[in-house]
Amino acid sequence: MLEVSHLRKVYGSEETGNVAVGDLSFVVGEKEFVCILGSSGCGKTTMLRCLSGLAPATSGQILVEGSPVDGPPEDLAYVFQDYSRSLLPWMTVERNVSFPLRYKGMSKQEAKIATADALDAVGLGDRTKAFPWQLSGGMQQRVAIARALAYRPRVLLMDEPFASVDAQTRSDLEDLLLGIWERYAVTIVFVTHDIDEAVYLADRVLVLKAPATVTTVADVDLPRPRDQITTKALPEFARLRSELLSALRH
Amino acid sequence: MLGGRLRDWAPRLMGISAILVVLEVCSRTGVLPRESFPPVSEIYGSLLGLLVEPGLWIEVGRTMRGWAVGLLLAALLAVPLGMLLGASKRAFQMSRLVIEFLRPVPSVALIPLAVLVFGVGQDMKVFLVAFACFWPILFQSIYGVQDVDPVARDTARSYGLPPLARFARIILPSAAPYIATGLRISSAIALILALTAELVVGAPGLGRAIVVSQISGSITQMYALILATGLLGWLLNTVFLSVERRLLRWHPSHREVAL
Repeated sequence: MLEVSHLRKVYGSEETGNVAVGDLSFVVGEKEFVCILGSSGCGKTTMLRCLSGLAPATSGQILVEGSPVDGPPEDLAYVFQDYSRSLLPWMTVERNVSFPLRYKGMSKQEAKIATADALDAVGLGDRTKAFPWQLSGGMQQRVAIARALAYRPRVLLMDEPFASVDAQTRSDLEDLLLGIWERYAVTIVFVTHDIDEAVYLADRVLVLKAPATVTTVADVDLPRPRDQITTKALPEFARLRSELLSALRH
Repeated sequence: MLGGRLRDWAPRLMGISAILVVLEVCSRTGVLPRESFPPVSEIYGSLLGLLVEPGLWIEVGRTMRGWAVGLLLAALLAVPLGMLLGASKRAFQMSRLVIEFLRPVPSVALIPLAVLVFGVGQDMKVFLVAFACFWPILFQSIYGVQDVDPVARDTARSYGLPPLARFARIILPSAAPYIATGLRISSAIALILALTAELVVGAPGLGRAIVVSQISGSITQMYALILATGLLGWLLNTVFLSVERRLLRWHPSHREVAL
């Protein structure tokens, strides 16, 4: 579904420039939920910019469904960390979700259905006419997720999407995302710096070290559906947690 | 709501009335020489008299035509050019020196040139207004485009919007508040320049009417006309503000419901 091989990204010249991504290779399977864990400055965001086609790679290859990425791929949607800047303040919630759909070739009717469906999925079916700035932070990020869903991507890239909401909202959003992942049968690459979040959500966790190189891969065999209380109380959860923590530290 | 409005307005009205009363008393008692400073009540009386006659409105129309055509011309030239310069770093760098050189030239210094080229009529007035208004609109357009949020740009790009759609849906709405401010500032400048062209050169309009009143010794009417120009400026600003508020109600400075 998503294949990254020997991805390298250097800002500036190869000799004197800043190496943001060294030599990154990994494969994400169909409908897999992969979390990429790394501390800030390890090159996560640069990696995502390359995957989403926003920035060209210096060398290496990225394949989305077998076709190489040389610009933003149609089958991929990107959810930014900074939802308040990613949502457009001059558009209502509904318009924010629907405006990209026309450029994907959806008819007016299809776009309308996709928009209503996605907003229902994130529980905002009743706030369609509001403006984003009239909503709380958690609700705004749900709008951004709805926009990505309505786009009907095969792959969803998420850059620390819940990093700037409070803890309670965060765990609600995690559960919402797991529900959406199953319902929309989408492949998710989720970047975070939070170990608990990574283990709770993922099928597989990749640990990234600067300059964006995979140092550890952990398979998460926790049963689904997961639950904030019982899943996190499992001994396996605690084991993975400490394994990843030591991987991050070394 | 209404009570709140009244509370807002009461002190303002009291301030205005106090000044008017002081002026009236000063003039009536001779503290201020009456031939140069007629009582305010007479000025207002004269203005009311002018308002019901067509003469004043013809002059207002002439001034406003220079204002409108000049402002429109400036906007038509400055908005597209500003957006282009804002979007292209190279174009901005190339034109920077020329702009920095032309911008500080006070429009009034161009009056002799304008008269030479356009004569003393409406065209000269329009040229001066357009020249003066061009700069604030240009700069606001440049800043507006340069200030588009990079995350918003990336969002549009990641969803595959083609360049023209990105311009219409992201860049233009982002820059709109800046351009609106540029237009509002320029509206005031346009009025000043239109009146200047009329006062100094004698192009027909309110400005010339003021000079004519002064020369013919109708000092009260001169004051009434000056008062009319002030009211005109205030009215234009109010109209611009309310249109801005309506069109840009999403912008932080105009939001009514904030969280």
